[in-house]
Amino acid sequence: MQNISPVIKYFIEQGVPLDTVILLLMLPIVVTLIAFFRQVIGIKAFGIYTPAIVTFAFLAVPQLRYGVLIFIVVILVGMIMRYALKGLRILYLPRVAITLSIIAFSILVLLGAGGAMHRTGLAAVSIFPILIMITIVEKFVAAQIETGNRAALVLAIETLVISLFGYYLASWPLLIGGIVAFPWLILITIPINIFLGKWDGLRLNEYIRFREVLKNLK
Amino acid sequence: MLEIFKNGSKLLGMNARNLDYIRPYNRKRAKRLADDKILSKRMLRKAGIPVPKLLAKIKTVDELENFDWFSLPNTFALKPNRGFGGGGIMVVYGKKKTFKCVSPDGTEIVPDPVWIKSDGSKVTVSDLKSHIRNILDGAFSLANIPDVAFFEERLTLLKLFKPYAYKGIPDIRVIVFNRIPVMAMLRLPTKESGGKANLQQGGIGVGIDLATGVTTTAVLGKGKIIDYVPGTRMLLSGIRIPYWKDILLLAVKAQEISGMGYLGADVAIDRERGPVFLEINARPGLAIQVANLSGLRERLERIKGLKIKTAARGVRVGRDLFGGEIEEELEEISGRKVIGTIEKIKLMGIKGRTVELEAKIDTGAGFTSIDIDLAQQLGFEDTVAEYQKIETTYKDIRHLSKKERWDIYKHIPHLESMVVVNSASGSTYRPTIKITVIMDDVVIPTKVTLINRAHLKYPIIIGKRNLKKFLIDVNK
Repeated sequence: MQNISPVIKYFIEQGVPLDTVILLLMLPIVVTLIAFFRQVIGIKAFGIYTPAIVTFAFLAVPQLRYGVLIFIVVILVGMIMRYALKGLRILYLPRVAITLSIIAFSILVLLGAGGAMHRTGLAAVSIFPILIMITIVEKFVAAQIETGNRAALVLAIETLVISLFGYYLASWPLLIGGIVAFPWLILITIPINIFLGKWDGLRLNEYIRFREVLKNLK
Repeated sequence: MLEIFKNGSKLLGMNARNLDYIRPYNRKRAKRLADDKILSKRMLRKAGIPVPKLLAKIKTVDELENFDWFSLPNTFALKPNRGFGGGGIMVVYGKKKTFKCVSPDGTEIVPDPVWIKSDGSKVTVSDLKSHIRNILDGAFSLANIPDVAFFEERLTLLKLFKPYAYKGIPDIRVIVFNRIPVMAMLRLPTKESGGKANLQQGGIGVGIDLATGVTTTAVLGKGKIIDYVPGTRMLLSGIRIPYWKDILLLAVKAQEISGMGYLGADVAIDRERGPVFLEINARPGLAIQVANLSGLRERLERIKGLKIKTAARGVRVGRDLFGGEIEEELEEISGRKVIGTIEKIKLMGIKGRTVELEAKIDTGAGFTSIDIDLAQQLGFEDTVAEYQKIETTYKDIRHLSKKERWDIYKHIPHLESMVVVNSASGSTYRPTIKITVIMDDVVIPTKVTLINRAHLKYPIIIGKRNLKKFLIDVNK
């Protein structure tokens, strides 16, 4: 990289790794993207924290597909466990604890199976992204209880979609280069968010939801 | 394409609801009151608004362990105090019979009661306990804060709603803004919604014309337009909601009490008590727009800043501004009912016979005429039989005096008089009988002529003499 802003240079000289600087500067962009998805497009996902953290988990795995695979396994096991634990009639936190434990075992089996099938990339996934993915199951279980299985699954898929967008945006070389050269550009996200926060038009998905009404209005 | 975006500004979306209405008009304190069902119920009751009875509440695990399960009635609703979107509500419809057991040493054991849910499944005390524990844990409250569980009286279903509602009680959601009812819908529980009326849970929403209280279009769940109750031939449009004005008035009064500027008021109709206020909602959903096929935002913009002094005035403004039809007003002004050219009527004959059928409204006819067959159904078999024995036509007897003519017919039972009817097909001499016609709730005792109408579509036409209390709308 030729163009490195003096500010970034200063951080590097202080011993902050370049990757960390980039990730921290990427955060405002990723969360703005999530806000945009919610306010303008109408994709909800599990709030703002979960898609953001999943985005960073994806960035931290060596190959994206393994990140997605782990995400899917976590959600799948979470769904199965709901049915498995239904008959036990136990309280919320112990139930989430059991679900988390089973998911941890499943991921362990998955990593082992990956190794046995000579998919070394899978076994090489570090513990940080794995733990992040496992913890999203709490959000998932809470959504299951509050709005039902189907709605929770939709939220999980939306989270996956937003995180994938976030991943591609945050690993876009042109954007990374731009941030390294002009880190102040990040501040643009603040007026963008003020605009999003005052946006009171229909969300894109509401045009679909209200299509029958729109047809009827003259 | 541009048209769509222009029309989009008439609809209320999630963003506008939160930013332009809930945020500025619903103060935090008022919202907290609305989210606390027990507290808001008490406030409403104090202000003289009828609410369902609170049977018991459970605040702690201790209270749960010491709860007397026998104190609960056969039917009740169990709710989380801070639930939303209908989540966590359990409704039971009956108690299973349980029998006393006597153990060998002579002590009697009374088994715990068992209730039955809408789908026929059993609810035991341990089911209730586990559900209540989940409620106390905050599994159904916003942000999972620890909650209180309460038992509430279950209302009885109005007969009118019986064929439309699956198990549960339908309710009426009214959006109130600035003391004016803005939009309303009837919410019907379905099999999918498990007896709950919330659309989020899969209930049916039916739009209601604000002026008349008559239902218009229906939506299933969050967006599917339907005409009939799924799996039946029960048409969802055209249901006239009883106590309509009272319901709107209750909704507006509740808004005054709640201190919120924008809210959804849920009112149910109990078979004995009439309109009963269920709850206030600080974040009413948007599907009501689909049920009414019209936009909320456009309506809200129109009444922003209006100064409305009383609830009754607000109700009138809402009905005038947002009601679709002026029919009722017309009826109020003229004191007459508006009917169409074909009307459903009820006839009462003799011997306690009644017939319900469709009649043709004929302003060209003086008398109301009914078919001979119909007269027989109404108990005039003898009259018809005797009349048909006399074989004369009007031509044969027109030279006779009125009295002489009457002498020929006067022996016929239940005969009222004989009249000359001039119609397009010539003059006829017809017998008349006395029956009662009930049309649009108006009772008319009247004389009707008998004639053979077997070749015509309607066995009865209603003539001018019986139409004095009506206005006829040919479009209806």
